[in-house]
Amino acid sequence: MNLIALKMLLGDFTKYAGLLFGIAFTSFLVTFAVSYFGGMMTRSFALIAENPRADVWVMDPAVVAVDSVINLPAADLSRVRSVEGVQSAVPLAVAQADARFPNGRFQSFQVIGVDDATLIGVPPMSGGATAAVLRAPDAVIVDAGGTSGKLETPLLKADQWPRGRPHLDVPMRLLIAGDELLVNDTRVQVAGQSEALPRFPPRPILFTTYSTAEHILLPERRRLTFVLVTTVPGVDAHTLAARIEEATDLRARASDDFKTDTVKWMLANSEDVGDAVTMLSIAMLVGFGVTGVMMFMFTNENLKYYAVLNAMGATTRSLLIMICSQAALCALLGTGLGLGLCVLAGQVFVNYGFPFRMMWFAPVVGGTAVLLVSIGAAAFSGRSVLKMQPASFLAGR
Amino acid sequence: MSGNTMKSFIEATKNQTAVRCHGVTKTYGQGKAAVQALRGVDLEIRTGELLMLVGPSGCGKTTLISVLAGLLQRDGGDCSVLDHDYKQMSFNETTRFRGRNIGFVFQTFDLIPALTAAENVATPLLINGVKWPAALEKAGAVLKVVGFDDRMIHSLPTDLSGGQQQRVAVARAMVHDPRMIVCDEPTSALDSESGHMVMSLMRQFALGKDRVLVVVTHDTRIFEFADRIARMEDGRITRIENPPSRGNVPLNNP
Ligand SMILES: Nc1ncnc2c1ncn2[C@@H]1O[C@H](COP(=O)(O)OP(=O)(O)OP(=O)(O)O)[C@@H](O)[C@H]1O
Ligand SMILES: [Mg+2]
Repeated sequence: MNLIALKMLLGDFTKYAGLLFGIAFTSFLVTFAVSYFGGMMTRSFALIAENPRADVWVMDPAVVAVDSVINLPAADLSRVRSVEGVQSAVPLAVAQADARFPNGRFQSFQVIGVDDATLIGVPPMSGGATAAVLRAPDAVIVDAGGTSGKLETPLLKADQWPRGRPHLDVPMRLLIAGDELLVNDTRVQVAGQSEALPRFPPRPILFTTYSTAEHILLPERRRLTFVLVTTVPGVDAHTLAARIEEATDLRARASDDFKTDTVKWMLANSEDVGDAVTMLSIAMLVGFGVTGVMMFMFTNENLKYYAVLNAMGATTRSLLIMICSQAALCALLGTGLGLGLCVLAGQVFVNYGFPFRMMWFAPVVGGTAVLLVSIGAAAFSGRSVLKMQPASFLAGR
Repeated sequence: MSGNTMKSFIEATKNQTAVRCHGVTKTYGQGKAAVQALRGVDLEIRTGELLMLVGPSGCGKTTLISVLAGLLQRDGGDCSVLDHDYKQMSFNETTRFRGRNIGFVFQTFDLIPALTAAENVATPLLINGVKWPAALEKAGAVLKVVGFDDRMIHSLPTDLSGGQQQRVAVARAMVHDPRMIVCDEPTSALDSESGHMVMSLMRQFALGKDRVLVVVTHDTRIFEFADRIARMEDGRITRIENPPSRGNVPLNNP
């Protein structure tokens, strides 16, 4: 009987294609939205991911995410260093500053000041340069940090450091080593570009040494934002974090815990979560619409044949099973199509530098959405089979 | 006739009654919109008989065979079909009873367009739980009986002429050896020749000693295939007639 149902389904190619499309669309959009969201969340803890040598992050007790920054007194660094199980602890300064470009334009940057001695925290650099370029006085490394077009400077000397109004609509090129920027009226020397992980929210970044950061940023009593701790081999990061908290009354988190904290904070505080939820709802609604209507049309058009089957002795139950197996086939194929499409689109998306990360739960959420959509569609069309009057079809009425 | 033979004759005829209806009524709708489609139908149909049901449009023919086939529940009166009273059976029991005992031929053929001729014919068997290969084999054999060749057996309904489609429908109605076949205007969409062919096929292969065929028709061209003709008017059977001429069609196949 179910083979009959499937043959009926495949026999009506247009509707079958419509159904498949509806379901593939739903699974694609839902999986894509979730993966996109996953990508954004992954980018939200890029700073943590970029520092694999930091097993434990130490911060002010009020800090909950890598983006909510409260600084520590400088002395806290040595307090952390003195905790047993800490192999090394280096400072990291995270701050915000506006930089003036040679054409007069202002651009907001995140300034990350890394330990002068070890330069831990500088991401890999483009063009084969090394972090050592930061040892020059007032040197900075610039990074797009997931933005585009924010690191451009005038091509022509004539447009640089003009008197009067900024030269905005002039030929531009990317910042290169040797260019200068003004940060809080201090001249800094661009020493190269790095290839940091893209950030979410996107923002251009200036990497520099801790001391240069202190020099170029507006004076504040506290500059130290994080202490990055490497554990003694054999010591568990979570255990050490607990020990540091105990000893210093600061907040210390193993890096994976800190990532989780950051994502949770994002989920609770970011407007983009709402956007993603909206996108998901639209995907589900459109999916419901297309799939439900197609399935309903299909069943409705075949109602006559269901009536004939019922007249010939097929019970209501077996007719409903037929409809469910039709929905199941579409759901299975549609989900497959949608997921495949999502993987392909994700590939393209990643190539273009957009956040996209298909984690295990993305297809699960997509599959669940399809399940809901298909059950809805099947229930919708099952209802009309339950209500039909086989006798009224007898004479072709 | 002696008393004894009389008694056995009565016994024999009693068992030979496939349908026995008395005072059957059926009303569609309620209140002002109510249509009384059957107003007390009295009817007996013997086994081995082809009964035709004729009458003006709207007189209740389709309603009556729907009641006989268990597709519609009667409102009043008594009716036993193949020794069953649908009123005593649940909805699902009735459905399964139809699946085993009743074959249908509809006016508009109503073959499932996505299925081949053989698959269409196989559906009643599949509904009754026969496995696909066996069902298809039986369907093929029955289609050969109604004159199909191997190619036609695997054609889709859309590739068949009206007469061929109705032959598929006839094959579908009898593939599971039902004891009663009901047909609603089986020949009205067919030309005279195809109509004749379909009716003679049914007489030849679907009608046996313990079988019964009820055919609703307007088509005077096929009256000759009937054993008896019941005239219906305004929800009642008004007259039962013998057919004009039987031609050379055998009454019962052996
Ligand atoms: N489902 C229904 N709801 C309401 N009225 C109905 C319904 N089916 C049939 N009727 C009415 O019942 C009466 C008998 O209908 P029925 O279909 O049995 O007639 P018929 O003899 O088969 O007619 P025809 O020759 O046109 O097929 C008609 O007046 C018809 O309009
Ligand atoms: Mg009718």
